[in-house]
This record gives sequence, structure tokens and C-alpha cells, in this order.
Amino acid sequence: MGYTLQYGQIWPYLPALLSGAWLSLQIAFLAFCGGLFIGTAGAAFLTFGPIWIARSVRAYVVFFTNTPQLVQIYFLYFALPDVGILLSSYGAVLLGMTINAGAYLVEIQRAGFASRRASEMEAAETLGFTRWQQIRYVILPHIAHTLFPPLSNHYILMTLGTSMAAIFGVEELTGVAFNVNSRTFRSIEVFSVTALIYVLMTLAASTVLALLGRSLFRARMRVI
Amino acid sequence: MLDRIAYFVAMITTAVMALFVSPASARTLDEILKSGVIHVGVNPNLPPLGKYNDKNEVVGFDVDFATEIAKMLGVKLDVVQVGSPDRIPFVTSGKIDMVLGGMTRNPERAKVIDFSAPVHTEALGVLTLEGKPFASWKDLDKPDVTLVQVRGTTPIKFIEDNLKNAKVTLLDNYPDVIRALSQGRGDAMIDVIDYAGEFMAKYPVKWKVLKEPIDVDYDGIGVAKNSTGLKDWLNVAIFSLHRSGKTADIWKKWFGIDMLFPVETTPFF
Repeated sequence: MGYTLQYGQIWPYLPALLSGAWLSLQIAFLAFCGGLFIGTAGAAFLTFGPIWIARSVRAYVVFFTNTPQLVQIYFLYFALPDVGILLSSYGAVLLGMTINAGAYLVEIQRAGFASRRASEMEAAETLGFTRWQQIRYVILPHIAHTLFPPLSNHYILMTLGTSMAAIFGVEELTGVAFNVNSRTFRSIEVFSVTALIYVLMTLAASTVLALLGRSLFRARMRVI
Repeated sequence: MLDRIAYFVAMITTAVMALFVSPASARTLDEILKSGVIHVGVNPNLPPLGKYNDKNEVVGFDVDFATEIAKMLGVKLDVVQVGSPDRIPFVTSGKIDMVLGGMTRNPERAKVIDFSAPVHTEALGVLTLEGKPFASWKDLDKPDVTLVQVRGTTPIKFIEDNLKNAKVTLLDNYPDVIRALSQGRGDAMIDVIDYAGEFMAKYPVKWKVLKEPIDVDYDGIGVAKNSTGLKDWLNVAIFSLHRSGKTADIWKKWFGIDMLFPVETTPFF
């Protein structure tokens, strides 16, 4: 075959790969937080809001879950400047991932809202809770236990989804891997190490989330 | 019952995939002659070396040059589209027999692939916008300068060595970089400006190309390191194409002007 594996050639690039991994984690975390906010607000509007808001949220969800995230970010990065909005690489990726995550999380949260108990809602209403207080004190704490697994799953997916940021000039893990590859041409070595780093990252994230879930929300989840 | 079916499907899929995975190795000259076809990698995003015509076929200097090579070899030409980051892995794995696409010859790449004798030259220049205060490429060595470059191209190393202060944004291909420059996402691009000419025409901004060329590089045909016979034959073939003037003709046809820095043809390789 004639090709000898040479991992030593990419060893000096490991710190660069790891700093890229850190950037991936950052982007995923920030986008997830933003998406969670949009998700909760959207689900609340879907369940309790007037019909025209509910329809708009529905349209937003349908559009953003049925188009690829890459196309969405491409639009933000390359098409918006033609109407005068210039987003940075990092900004476009973060905004795109947040909006995309928001759409998926609205769906997840809506399922949680739908599982609220009518008796608890009636009790809260008789006690004089406003809608906002009902959501905050009655619904959210009780659905957190059910929602935790799907939310952590989506977070893991988003961590892997940050790999497309490289196309827009954000030097996260995949971008750095591409650079190292074009410098050393050791494709097998570079991408196997990158894959390993992704696996370790997501395993670490799942473990942390599983521990968090078990202690705070009594949600039992599998890590592997 | 359902998991039995799923298990079965998974086994079949794995078995089928295993059949398609063949050990990667480059073909020798004899194998190419025997198979009757040569796979050539061309980058369709590098006009006029490679671009799409109205019928969505890949045409350009590279395709014409490869056609001449295939004619001399007596085999059919199969054009495979490649991009800047993947052209070298394609060659080392044997997916293609040789790659054109502005394959600049440098020692880093020569560690992994072999180069034929130079086919053409390329001059690195600076592409920027009208109104930017740069007179020469040395003015770009400042921390508030952002250069937009294509991932996996030769200027990146040059920038790392000579323009340490400038910031670099890496995008995927030339159309994206030119679009980004026209949108004001960067100050300049250092690359072979001939390739960008066609994309530049698409945007209503005033371009400025700095007069002084930074460097002249030689582009050859890239072949795999263990493909016995192909590189040696290519050297002889390229020499005869240069000598007969065919290379200059094809260049004139696609670029409109003669090669700025002609390749000196010597009979020794």
C-alpha cells in the first residue's frame, strides 16, 4: 500500500486542536442557552398565547426545522450583507445556531408544556398566580425532569453541529483540523485524532449533563 | 421482531460497505495504460484553469492540457472535480492518477506527493479594494489588517512567515473569498489574481490589484509517490508539449495573454 501512519507529525498541532475544541464547546453552549430561552418563550406562546402569535411561532418552527442549518448560516453570513447587515463569522454562526436550536427546542418544550397537570394549573389559578407565575413555579419545575434527556441530546447534537462553522472562517475544531491537514497532508492521522477529540468532548458533556440531571432533576439518563 | 430486522439490515449494510472499501493505492503507468482511462483531478473553481461552461461541464486550461496528455498516452480522459483542501488526499489515495488545478510545487507538498516538471507559473499578487491605503504587500503587516484566504492554499504559509501581524480569515473556496472581500469582510487577499478575475467581475465594487508581484511559483502536475512510471513519462510529455508550443497556445486561448513568466524548458529534469 505504501502509506505509513505518522502520528508524530501532527503531535505539535495538538494544542491548536484543543483550543479549537474549546471554541466548539463555547459556541454550542452559548447557542444552546439562547435557544433554550427562545424555546421556552415559544412554547409558552404556543400553549397560552393568542392565535396569531401561536401561528407565527408555528411558522418559525416549521421553517427552521425543515431547512439545513448550513443553509441558514450561509444566508446570514453571505446574503444579509447585500441588504446592509454585516455579521462577523462568529456572530453569524452563533446567531444561526441559536435560531436553529430555538426552533427545535420550541418543539421539545411544547411537549413538556403539554404534559402539565390540569389539577395543578387549576390550583395555581385559584391561588391567584398570574400566567407568568404559573409557568415559572408550576410548569417549569415539574417538566424539567421529563425534558432533561431530550434537551441534553439536542445539546450533544449542537456540539457536533458546530463543525460547520469552519466554512465561515471560525477556527473551531474542524477548521483547525482542515488547516493541519492542508499543512501536513496527514489526512488519516489528523481526522482520526479530531474524531477522537469530538467523542471525548461529547462524552464529557453527556457525563456532566447526566450527573446534573440526576442530582437536580432526578432524571436518569445513560451516558454511553 | 423489529430488532431482528434492524440487526439483519445493519449486517447487510456493513457487508456491502466492506465490499466497496478497497485498499487505497496509486496506479502505475502500466495499469493506467491497461485500463484505458486516466483519472485527472481538476478544480472547477479556478477559472480559467477550470470552470463550468453552459452545459455544466468542466472546461479550462487544465482540461485542455489533460486532454493533450491523455491523447499522447492513448487513453480516455476522466475529469474528476477536486477542491483545494482535498486534491492531495485524492492523489495519495489513488482516487485520481494525477492532479492539476494550480498545483504549486513546494517542499511541504513534495513530502507527500511527487511533482512533474513545471507546466506553468503563477505570480502571487495582492487583491484589494479601491480606497484602501496599501501600496505594496509589505503594508499589510499590521494588526488591524484582515486578510481573507482560501483554506489549503500556498499563500497561507507565506502570510505566516512574512506577514505575522495581519489577521487571517479562512473560507472554503475562491468564490466565497471574493464575495467576502466585496462585502467588506477583509482588507485584501493574497493569491494568484488570474484565478479570481472571473469572480471579481460579478461584484459592483472597484477592485485594485497591487502592481508588484510578490513571488513567482512553479505549478506542476501532482502524482502519487509510488506511481512508478507516470511521473517520468509526464516529464517527457510536458517537455514535448512546451517545445511544440502547444502549452503556450492553450494558455493564450484561456488567459487571453501570454504567460507572464514563461517556464524555461530545459531538456533535463
